[in-house]
Amino acid sequence: MDRDIVPWDNPEPLTGPIGVPLVDLLDRVLATGVVVSGDLVIAIADVPLVRLSLHALLSSVSERIPAPWADGGPL
Amino acid sequence: MTQRGAEPSSSDVDAVYVFAVCGTRTPVGVEGLPGVPGGDAVGTLPFGELTAVVQTVRAADFTEEAWQARLSDRQQLERYARAHHHVVSAAAVAGPVVPLPLATLYHDEQRARSALAAETARFRAALERTADHAEWGVKVYSTGSGGADRPDPPSGPAVITGRPAERTSRPAPGAGLAYLERKRGLRAEREQRQDAAIRAAETVDAEFQKVAAAARRLRSHAPELAGDRRVQVLNATYLVAKDRTDELGRLARTLEESTGAQVELSGPWVPYSFVGEG
Repeated sequence: MDRDIVPWDNPEPLTGPIGVPLVDLLDRVLATGVVVSGDLVIAIADVPLVRLSLHALLSSVSERIPAPWADGGPL
Repeated sequence: MTQRGAEPSSSDVDAVYVFAVCGTRTPVGVEGLPGVPGGDAVGTLPFGELTAVVQTVRAADFTEEAWQARLSDRQQLERYARAHHHVVSAAAVAGPVVPLPLATLYHDEQRARSALAAETARFRAALERTADHAEWGVKVYSTGSGGADRPDPPSGPAVITGRPAERTSRPAPGAGLAYLERKRGLRAEREQRQDAAIRAAETVDAEFQKVAAAARRLRSHAPELAGDRRVQVLNATYLVAKDRTDELGRLARTLEESTGAQVELSGPWVPYSFVGEG
């Protein structure tokens, strides 16, 4: 049961992509970090691309990216 | 490699994917990692006193169309997200890093170097802010107050759910009223449960903020995403000094007991959520 704590159980801190739930990962790797404008896929940094496709799989990402439906509720 | 004038879609054009920026000159442990699918091995690109962790990839794999397709394919997206995370995490073992969002690309190393160098001040500030800290995720799930709860599906017209005996028997006088009252009672109960869950979330958030240097609320996950029937009432993330890490597990358990909600802690993460400004 992974009820109370989900330690990565990894000897080395800050590693451990294994076992990290995808939704939690996407919360962090999409549109976080220092956004510097790149030359390609501009829309990723600017979010609309991500937002467009959200309905396909996630309502997560961050509050800076309002999901296309109100409340983030189930479809 | 040619830049600019070349057709961005021609398949042999390269681009430089930047994963993260490190505060050290020589981040160990990243050179040679496989990185994202279809690219060369991961390498480093020094600029000023900082170093970027980069990978040469095919530009054609990173067009907007390619990403549109990828974002609607869960497995594909997962491969890229995990590959990105793997490199960022590996870089973070050697020292503090500033992760860049998934898919930050430049036409070539020269472009990458000059674009990143222009942001040196922001990278420095972020490195400073997050040094000796890690990010910890906290999710709170409502468990309802009593034993008789079930995260019932968002109240549909769930009138005729079985109970054939009840349906076939002749309605007693006042059955309609009783039915309405029962429905009303259920709704009130549900509202109370929601209120309690929101209060629990606020309490948990407030307590973690006391331990944290910074906090951010993330969008809650819909139950079907996490493949999980519980109702998530808080999805937050905290920047916590490394020497306070020990307190987190204890705090989570204490809060579970005092609020009755389930508190899930995840981490340590590279401080993804705390390197941007604001």
